Amino acid sequence: MNRKKILIGVSIILAAGITIIAYMLNMPERDVQGADSDYQIPATALVQEYLDDAASANAKYLDASGESSILEVTGIIANISRDSKNQVVILLQSDDDPAGVSCTFSLETNASTNGLSVGKEVIIKGVIRSGAAYDKDLEMFEPVIIEKADLFDML
Amino acid sequence: MRKLLLLAIAAITLSAFATLPGKLKSTGSLITFYSHTAFEDIEANNYKSIAVLNTESGDVIISVPMQSFEFEKRMMQKHFNQENFLNTAKFPKAKFIGQIQNMDSHDFTKPGELVLTIHGEMTIKGETQPVKMEASALVKGAKIKLITAFELTLSDYGIEFSSGKPSKNIANAIQVSASFLF
Repeated sequence: MNRKKILIGVSIILAAGITIIAYMLNMPERDVQGADSDYQIPATALVQEYLDDAASANAKYLDASGESSILEVTGIIANISRDSKNQVVILLQSDDDPAGVSCTFSLETNASTNGLSVGKEVIIKGVIRSGAAYDKDLEMFEPVIIEKADLFDML
Repeated sequence: MRKLLLLAIAAITLSAFATLPGKLKSTGSLITFYSHTAFEDIEANNYKSIAVLNTESGDVIISVPMQSFEFEKRMMQKHFNQENFLNTAKFPKAKFIGQIQNMDSHDFTKPGELVLTIHGEMTIKGETQPVKMEASALVKGAKIKLITAFELTLSDYGIEFSSGKPSKNIANAIQVSASFLF
């Protein structure tokens, strides 16, 4: 009787362990659009925050496991292009800003950009990958990089 | 009319000086790395790098946002970014500064394929190491596609695993391939 109980106990622990390991190995991809946003911020302010103090902006927005802040960025569309994966890339930048916020959509969200054009003001939601900075080797300003983006709202 | 013409000439001259001659900025990019061990094959793609190629001086500069590497498995991606691996929250960008060798023998204005050797320095996780790579440039009209593949040794950049799953599942020599459109 006692042996039976132990056997049942061990099997339960084993089954739980296997389930947890299987979940960790097959953890579903992070759902950026389904998650709540961490910050709502104008593109100009985000760029300025990085140019003022990149280290503290990194500490605020970047996550140690790479699952960084989800932002809703408001700005004026300065450019629309596509990257090597055929994802739509929208640059939010005002005339007076030295750098912009480059928002990369996904093959699933590309269609939300239909009808958008340069000059329109929009809110784009996505995950931040890196900040804006002047790179002395490239001799240019690098934009804030946002990926897995979707159109959140039009103004 | 003459004033207009002068203005036009001035505008053209100014715009020509706005960018250095021969300096091109990438319009598209893909960097892939591949790690092979008996236990696991791991691959990650990054479409967000920026490169500058100077077809006159031979300078090549590449800036790589590290958190843009996308893995098939979410756990792998989390491991890759974490503090004891690439610590991307503290070092969000990797950089390559290089120089195409024997620029005298390469003509980027003629259509065709150029076989290149690039010498430079790679900075990953704050560690800088000399790197040599073979590359090719496909010139077609005004467009240039730069392709390269090389091996990267993780321990050179202070990335070492003495125990645990990563020490078995991640190779010390990582295969990197990259392509840039200019």
